[in-house]
Amino acid sequence: MSSVKRKGRVFRLLIFATLGSLVNEEVKRTVDLSTHLAKITTEVLLSNPGRSTVNSFVVALEPELAPHLAFIGVTVKEKDGSLELKETSLKGQSGKFFEVQLLSGLAGGSKLRLQVETVLSHVLRPFPTHITQAERQLVVFQGNHYLYSPYLTTSQTTRVRLASKNVESYTKLGNPSKSDEIIEFGPFQDIPPFSQDPMKIHYENNSPFLTISSITRTIEVSHWGNIAVEETIDLRHTGAFLKGPFSRYDYQRQSDSGISSIKSFKTILPASAQDVYYRDEIGNISTSHLLVLEDAVEVEVRPRFPLFGGWKTHYIIGYNLPSYEYLYTLGDQYALKMRLVDHVYDDQVIDHLTVKIILPEGARNIHLDTPYQIDREPDQLHYTYLDTFGRPVLVATKSNLVEQHIQDVVIHYTFNKILMLQEPLLVVGAFYIMFFTVIIYVRLDFSITKDPAAEVRMKVASITEQVLTLVNKRLGLYRHMNDVVNRYKQSRDTGALNGGRKTMEAEHRTLTNDISSLQARLKVEGSDLADKVAEVQKLDSQVKELVCRSCQEAERLVAGKVKKEAYIENEKSLASKRQELINRIDSLLDAL
Amino acid sequence: MELICLGHFVLSHNPEVWILGELMLNCSWGGVGGDSIHRIHPALECHSLVVSLSSFLLRFNYRSTHHLTSNGFYEFLNWFDERAWYPLGRIVGGTVYPGLMVTAGLIHYVLNLLHMTVHIRDVCVFLAPIFSGLTAISTFLLTRELWNQGAGLLAACFIAIVPGYISRSVAGSFDNEGIAIFALQFTYYLWVKSVKTGSVFWTIGCCLSYFYMVSAWGGYVFIINLIPLHVFVLLLMQRYSRRVYIAYSTFYIVGLVLSMQIPFVGFQPIRTSEHMAAAGVFALLQAYAFLQYLKDRLTKQEFQTLFFLGVSLAAGVVFLTVIYLTYTGKFSLSLMRYLCPPPRYAKIHIPIIASVSEHQPTTWVSFFFDLHILVCTFPAGLWFCIKNINDERVFVALYAISAVYFAGVMVRLMLTLTPVVCMLSAIAFSSVFEHYLGDDQKKDKEGLGPNIKSIVTMLMLMLLMMFAVHCTWVTSNAYSSPSVVLASYNHDGSRNILDDFREAYYWLRQNTDEHARVMSWWDYGYQIAGMANRTTLVDNNTWNNSHIALVGKAMSSNESAAYQIMQSLDVDYVLIIFGGVIGYSGDDINKFLWMVRIAEGEHPKDIRESDYFTPQGEFRVDKAGSPTLLNCLMYKMSYYRFGEMQLDFRTPPGFDRTRNAEIGNKDIKFKHLEEAFTSEHWLVRIYKVKNEGSSRTSSFLRKARS
Repeated sequence: MSSVKRKGRVFRLLIFATLGSLVNEEVKRTVDLSTHLAKITTEVLLSNPGRSTVNSFVVALEPELAPHLAFIGVTVKEKDGSLELKETSLKGQSGKFFEVQLLSGLAGGSKLRLQVETVLSHVLRPFPTHITQAERQLVVFQGNHYLYSPYLTTSQTTRVRLASKNVESYTKLGNPSKSDEIIEFGPFQDIPPFSQDPMKIHYENNSPFLTISSITRTIEVSHWGNIAVEETIDLRHTGAFLKGPFSRYDYQRQSDSGISSIKSFKTILPASAQDVYYRDEIGNISTSHLLVLEDAVEVEVRPRFPLFGGWKTHYIIGYNLPSYEYLYTLGDQYALKMRLVDHVYDDQVIDHLTVKIILPEGARNIHLDTPYQIDREPDQLHYTYLDTFGRPVLVATKSNLVEQHIQDVVIHYTFNKILMLQEPLLVVGAFYIMFFTVIIYVRLDFSITKDPAAEVRMKVASITEQVLTLVNKRLGLYRHMNDVVNRYKQSRDTGALNGGRKTMEAEHRTLTNDISSLQARLKVEGSDLADKVAEVQKLDSQVKELVCRSCQEAERLVAGKVKKEAYIENEKSLASKRQELINRIDSLLDAL
Repeated sequence: MELICLGHFVLSHNPEVWILGELMLNCSWGGVGGDSIHRIHPALECHSLVVSLSSFLLRFNYRSTHHLTSNGFYEFLNWFDERAWYPLGRIVGGTVYPGLMVTAGLIHYVLNLLHMTVHIRDVCVFLAPIFSGLTAISTFLLTRELWNQGAGLLAACFIAIVPGYISRSVAGSFDNEGIAIFALQFTYYLWVKSVKTGSVFWTIGCCLSYFYMVSAWGGYVFIINLIPLHVFVLLLMQRYSRRVYIAYSTFYIVGLVLSMQIPFVGFQPIRTSEHMAAAGVFALLQAYAFLQYLKDRLTKQEFQTLFFLGVSLAAGVVFLTVIYLTYTGKFSLSLMRYLCPPPRYAKIHIPIIASVSEHQPTTWVSFFFDLHILVCTFPAGLWFCIKNINDERVFVALYAISAVYFAGVMVRLMLTLTPVVCMLSAIAFSSVFEHYLGDDQKKDKEGLGPNIKSIVTMLMLMLLMMFAVHCTWVTSNAYSSPSVVLASYNHDGSRNILDDFREAYYWLRQNTDEHARVMSWWDYGYQIAGMANRTTLVDNNTWNNSHIALVGKAMSSNESAAYQIMQSLDVDYVLIIFGGVIGYSGDDINKFLWMVRIAEGEHPKDIRESDYFTPQGEFRVDKAGSPTLLNCLMYKMSYYRFGEMQLDFRTPPGFDRTRNAEIGNKDIKFKHLEEAFTSEHWLVRIYKVKNEGSSRTSSFLRKARS
């Protein structure tokens, strides 16, 4: 028991040994209370009076303010580099402590100018808590006059910036001076470590007390070139509650009525944002404006109704981004670099953030690089169009965020490029199967009853088809014969003419026989088309006769038995007769 | 660049698609493609489909569908909605036609099964256009059966663009009628097919389609009366055949059994008088068939005696049964309701029904507005059909005559007339075109000169073109402006959107207690339930007259009497619509007399309509108005603080733009109410009922506890 106590004491001594070696000289605090946040910027000239080099120091926050801490950051002045913070605890002291690693150690006797930036949310309490529409909003800030630090402070000044010059009351330690919106405290000399003296300021603040009570940011990555971002936002006015009626008349007629209410605000989206939408459960919200600037897209978001104290609303805003600006690739390795949380309105406060990042189906070896600590939740699977085994979804949450948290997150993963083809192939396959089924259905007969009439009809149709081709072929023969005759008239080669005539005769005979047999089959099927085919046959024999006659005429002409004029006359009448017959055949064929 | 619409629907950024769609229509392209695009017009017109959803949608249907998809079918059938009709609640499963919700739910289920993550809302929005495409197809099939393929194509084109049907099938109109017209046309097609073929296969198809219709819309009564009428007329015309016998016997039995499966219909088909015609025709058909059978086997003399005896016996039995049943109250002879124009009937019986504008008799203007040239050509089509009569043309003639009658009775029933008008007009146009555009050889015989032919053709084409232009104009002007979002035009043509309804509903949704009860007139019941997600006292399903009358009484009483009623009904907020600032004529003051009348019907002692008129019998809101009116709750809520407001310099403060009068009571103070919210253009005003009663009880309880 006693040994434990002793150990503790030794430990504490050790800490004090390291802590006690530093001194805060020239502390300049600026407490900015002009919005609904408390932004405390402390400029410190840190000196090391000891001999040994110090590699780290501790930044502290009062226990009363610690739960409200949204952001803390330390930068080295003139160097513009931010330092790394790590939360620690100091035995026997309450509050929050962060150990800051110096880039290069602070040697004995040297000094370093630092800037500590702290943002506190929900630290301004409306008082009174309920106001009417005509009243102005008053808030109370409770803080510390001194710098809360584990080191001795040799000199300190504090400047408080308020939202307006109307101040109800403020603590008057060291006789502060007040001009317009600014109250100056100090300078205070030689303040021992961990000194606290309550500072209380009660003043008018009509700036928008807007809080995002929860936001769900969904980032859906597609390797086809698009990143879809959607934010579902719950907003709440966290200022003084509206008491009594809301009068639209007063709100419209008097400019200072409902002065602390919120009509609209601006959201800045990335410059490449496209297809922006802004809606809620009951549809598109028509009261908004979109402004495309050079380096950003600005949306003037106007909720459906003005937000008074205690009122809330809910909306969804979404847009598309081209993936080439955010997605980097090397072989199968991909890296997505995007903002974990984006701008919603100036001086935003987010009570609870959920980020969902949906990666393409088949992404593996996922690794998340975050700029600050966030809580990962178990991964999920998301199914959307054409997915088979689901897309991996990374889910992360964090509470109490402010503007300073708008930083990039990097996600590394591997993705086999072949998988890109999976979805198109799926569609192709589906269509293939569909068409194939239709083909099978059309080709096969699935009827359970026989329809003899339909069968006969189909048979007749097929026979007619054959008849048609044969008749056309036969007509082709005549045309060919005509050519032969013309050639004969020039060359006077009787052999060629006779040969041509013979082949025509032979082919004609086979064709005519075929047609006759088809005609017989038609008759068997009981179709009246058989008669028509018979008529065609009859006409055809006349045509053939004419062809033969023109052939003989040509022979007689060549032999000089007829005069040329008579031949031409004759030939003309033959041709016209033939044409007429052929036309009649054609019309018969059309009717088949 | 100002972008009022932040819609994410791709088409909305793409005007060419519209032009394409319109071109397709102007070329009478019709069919499904052009058809759907035409109907999506309003959805796109309103910036995004999300708007159109909330505006056109009967929010109740959407809510039920949502319930169905998230809780399953059986849960839906057993759903007790405690958000409606406070404090009674509503058994939804048993009091709706579930066809619409089940259809949408099924499509959503199938799509999600295939990992098409479509939101149920999008399914609901596009359901009506999809079904109107199917309607066009079934109209084509039906007309082809009646006339020929060409007429069928024309009919499909007509139904695709005719305003009378577009009004019910624009994207976002998630209403029973949207799918019911398809079911109606398809049932008729299958019926005609089964009468033509006499095959049980087609008849069973007809029964299934009829079943779908029963599940979708109360208008199924039209089918179950028209088909028996068709059979009856066929019998009278000596056109009885085995085909008709098979078709009707099968249809009646299977259809009857199927229709009784819908919980809301239940035993009505064997109990109520509107189904009795079908049963009577069924019996008649059996008797007729039996007589036909006997006729073959008996001599003429025997047959005549038997026939006479049988007919008189049957008539006597039927007469006595009807008298007995009516006497014992087994079924009511409510045919009156269908045959006499409802407003006349309802004015005597239920003022609520008469107060709905949809239930007014149709004017000539709306016939022309909804049907344009078709209304002139369809008698010609009817004439062609009657001239070349056959079994199925008897049917279409009966369809046309009965539909014309019903459309004349009520504006709403214009919808049943539209398809038959399209079919008959298509037949008329098609025969004319056939005559004047036919083959050259045929025309020579009739001796028509080419000039006459081309002139007639040109004229007909002109008519069709003007019809297409009219349809486009009506669709974009009359049926695209959503009822929830109002639009006004500035002098330079830019559009102002007045989104007051949704502003107020969303305020209710976000900033009132989850179980808050909102009192409003019944017109806004579904909207409040759907958009604001709050409990309502009365809504658009106007089945409980006394409850509505109680709300009407609260609105028309003075504040303290109204407070008593509101306390007894646990009202937390009162919502009214006031159009005096922007000149919106559909507001509550203009509907006020209906509230008074309905209240008077139930509470004649407390409310008298005459009290709200001036001695001269006028309804005035200015100083000359009756004091009862100037002090009733509705008046006070509408004009609270309006007396101080000066809209422009030419008019005095408190000048009501809707009624063009300076209000009579400018000094309005409330004792039990306070203004909770008023929308930007004062269109919606919400008042909170101060809860003195319950705070008293709670303080009393506290005392009792201590």
